[in-house]
Amino acid sequence: MPAPPPLPASASAPRAGARAAGTWLAAAAVALLALFPVLVARPYPLHMGVVLFLAVLEAAAWNLVGGIAGQYSVGHAVYFGAGAYAAVMLLERLGIAPWWGIWAAALCAVLLGLVVGTITLRLRGPYFVLASIAAAEVARLAVLHFRAFTHGAQGFVVAEPPVLRLPGLSLTFDGKRPFYYLTLALAVLAVAVNRAVLRSRLGYQLLAVREDQDAAHSLGIRLSLVKNQALAISAALTGVAGAVFAGYSRFIDPDTVFSLTDVSVPMVLYCLAGGAGTVEGPVVGALLLVPVSEALRNPRGLVSLGLLPAGSGVVGFVERHLSQAHQLVYGVLLVLIVLFAPEGVAGLLRRLLRRSRARPRPAPPPA
Amino acid sequence: MALLEIRHLSKFFGGLAANADVSFSVERGTIVGLVGPNGAGKTTLFDCVTGFHRPDRGEVRFRGIRINGLSPARVCRLGLARTWQKVRPLARLSVLDNVVVGALTRTRRVEAARDLAREELRVVGLSDRAGVAAGTLPVGERKKLELARALATGPELLLVDEVLGGLNPTESEEVVEVLLALRASGLTLLVIEHDMRAIMRISDRVVVLDSGEKLAEGTPAEVVEDREVVAAYLGEP
Amino acid sequence: MRSWAGVPAPAGRGETGMILFLQSLLSGVLMGGVYALVGIGLTLVFGVMRIVNFAHGELVMLGMYLAWFLFTRLGWDPYLSLVVVAPALFLWGALLQAAVVGRALHALPENQMLLTIGLGLAMSNAAMLAFTADYRILTTSYSSSGLQVLGLSVSEPMLAAFLVAVGVTAGLYLFLLRTDTGRAIRATAQDREAAQLMGIDVRRMSLVAFGLGAALAGTAGALVSPTYYIYPQVGGAFTLKAFVIVVLGGMGSVVGATLGGLLVGVTESLAAVYVASDLKELVVYSLFLLVLVARPSGLLGKARA
Repeated sequence: MPAPPPLPASASAPRAGARAAGTWLAAAAVALLALFPVLVARPYPLHMGVVLFLAVLEAAAWNLVGGIAGQYSVGHAVYFGAGAYAAVMLLERLGIAPWWGIWAAALCAVLLGLVVGTITLRLRGPYFVLASIAAAEVARLAVLHFRAFTHGAQGFVVAEPPVLRLPGLSLTFDGKRPFYYLTLALAVLAVAVNRAVLRSRLGYQLLAVREDQDAAHSLGIRLSLVKNQALAISAALTGVAGAVFAGYSRFIDPDTVFSLTDVSVPMVLYCLAGGAGTVEGPVVGALLLVPVSEALRNPRGLVSLGLLPAGSGVVGFVERHLSQAHQLVYGVLLVLIVLFAPEGVAGLLRRLLRRSRARPRPAPPPA
Repeated sequence: MALLEIRHLSKFFGGLAANADVSFSVERGTIVGLVGPNGAGKTTLFDCVTGFHRPDRGEVRFRGIRINGLSPARVCRLGLARTWQKVRPLARLSVLDNVVVGALTRTRRVEAARDLAREELRVVGLSDRAGVAAGTLPVGERKKLELARALATGPELLLVDEVLGGLNPTESEEVVEVLLALRASGLTLLVIEHDMRAIMRISDRVVVLDSGEKLAEGTPAEVVEDREVVAAYLGEP
Repeated sequence: MRSWAGVPAPAGRGETGMILFLQSLLSGVLMGGVYALVGIGLTLVFGVMRIVNFAHGELVMLGMYLAWFLFTRLGWDPYLSLVVVAPALFLWGALLQAAVVGRALHALPENQMLLTIGLGLAMSNAAMLAFTADYRILTTSYSSSGLQVLGLSVSEPMLAAFLVAVGVTAGLYLFLLRTDTGRAIRATAQDREAAQLMGIDVRRMSLVAFGLGAALAGTAGALVSPTYYIYPQVGGAFTLKAFVIVVLGGMGSVVGATLGGLLVGVTESLAAVYVASDLKELVVYSLFLLVLVARPSGLLGKARA
């Protein structure tokens, strides 16, 4: 197989000036997003926010293993589902509030990640992809089967989270606003984790593993160790996403939270579309694709946003014919991205920017 | 005690002996050349020494420690680094970052690693290419990068696999100078090469392999005279 | 006595126990013959093109729908409709290869896999849009009849499917061993560059291989259509099982896929009886993961992927 086309130098250490500007921009964006619910109190935009931030969280989680370490897991739903079920079952059966449930979900997902990682991370290429899909399927089938424990195909209806009492304040989790802030915070956390990892020793080593595993090995990098580290962090974040999803949508069942097409694939797709292995990739990808899939799944939302006139024929048409079409769109997009933009939108833009900035390179100094 | 001792090393693939009962040593501070026709088992030997293959028989001792059967990462961290016959740049990383990866085996701090990396780039003469994506480099620079990256891990012994292949005379000369400078600074090298003039020039001792077996061993002058070696195939001058 | 999954275990030892075992073994073999077709299709594609086709199960699904369509609209028996299904899927596979998959030859292997996953998603959801998610069934006159063979009862459609599958497999072996194209395909699978140097048109071989793989998958789909629920997402399980088969038998090995298919069929059948019917696939996948732990390149595979 010929080598992939090289990306611009150093995906891992951008120049200091660009870095600082990027950080200020991101901080400003986050501040604006935090102000948004104060200005706009309608539920649907807040719902879109939650969906979007969850998507960023998941994509950023996958990015650690898939984008940076180059291990394309297509079975990350196993951590999502494990986190969801862990949090929900702790709430329903032991009365443990979601505030602790989320931590338990993360822990559960990490432990599961270590098990799955031990089995799968020593595998190369298609074997790894396959094993990751098989692991998620095993989890889904197991949860379906052990009805007494997990309610099987019926799923869990999640009770409203109890009031969180902290010294000086108590938070109720009704309505969308608290979830908006929670998911925003988690999305920011996940992106920050990506940034931190990319600059760290672990990040360099993961990138090396991604580029050439044998070379990395010969340079003293312990393959299992670093891959499992990435997977542990990734699994924890994904598990938390699952737990929050459970609390927000108030209903989980195995086919939803362990789904290949609705959980595992979108995580990969968002990351790839934005640019796998970069900090901004997961964000860009989610920003581009979530609105599309939401519009297809829920065209009435477009009406409530004022983008479509009420009673528009488009709504009816989409509802009748295209309600499941978001998966079709995912499929087509995957094909198009691989064929025409494998480095994602971020990579495409970078290529275009470089071309517009091109100037002749100075001749190398004499030997 | 020699820095590297290979004793009765044998490696079989199916019924074929890629290495058959090979024994020799590499003394500290010297350059040992490893030569022989294609298919003689030279790279397989490297793979056995660095942990990419497990020898079927025999043992390898580095600083007195038995290293056959250890993982490549462990071998590297013990102080034994290698370059690859078919260069393996970390294509989408910059030249500097490639070397930083190596340096991070020596130190845990990224800033310190970057300083070490810049130093190694200076040693091989790639300082002005630090920001370039490694995958875009021409072959000569890729080979230098490979050297710098392996050096960054801070080895006591460096295994060099056909680093001169595909280089023009100027580049060849540059790399040979680097190898000599490395020896002068106290590094030990085991060098696989087809370029016999270079081998004659830099090696303190030469080991000749043919069809998996050690054919001869001695100083460059001795080996060149050895009838069996001459008969087998000495490689291009 | 209850088995650990809470399902009543088979009624103990002696003759009844033996008969039950042989029964499930036999139905496992019958299903395994059809699985083998699916696995061979996948392994051919990998062998020739070094591409891992995650949309393979969707090709099976298309075969099922096509057989159902021909049955409900034209009254054609599924085994006879093979005459149409196989060539149709062959053409479709060749088209996919020419238009999409063949353009991704220079992409990273991981991205190639994602491309085929995308194709699979597109196909299954196109089927959903066209046929809705309703389960379809294809009931022939013999769909639920059984035969007695050596004291064991055998489902007639499954027996017929198995026999046809054996015939197709035999035909395929003949094709690969005796015809020029077949030999060219094997040469390309062994060493693509050498084959090119020998004058073999490797692009044409890729078209043939992908078409053949699709035809085999579609055939398998048509063969099981009298006994399966037909719905757009049915391909997923076939893809995963096909992979298990191919990995067990060694990527690129037709013989390995044949044996692997039988192994998976038997395992699944025995698991359905002795563990729990809704855990049968879980058992197959779990065993598969265990095999990968012990032998990362499968039971019969070579050391390199």
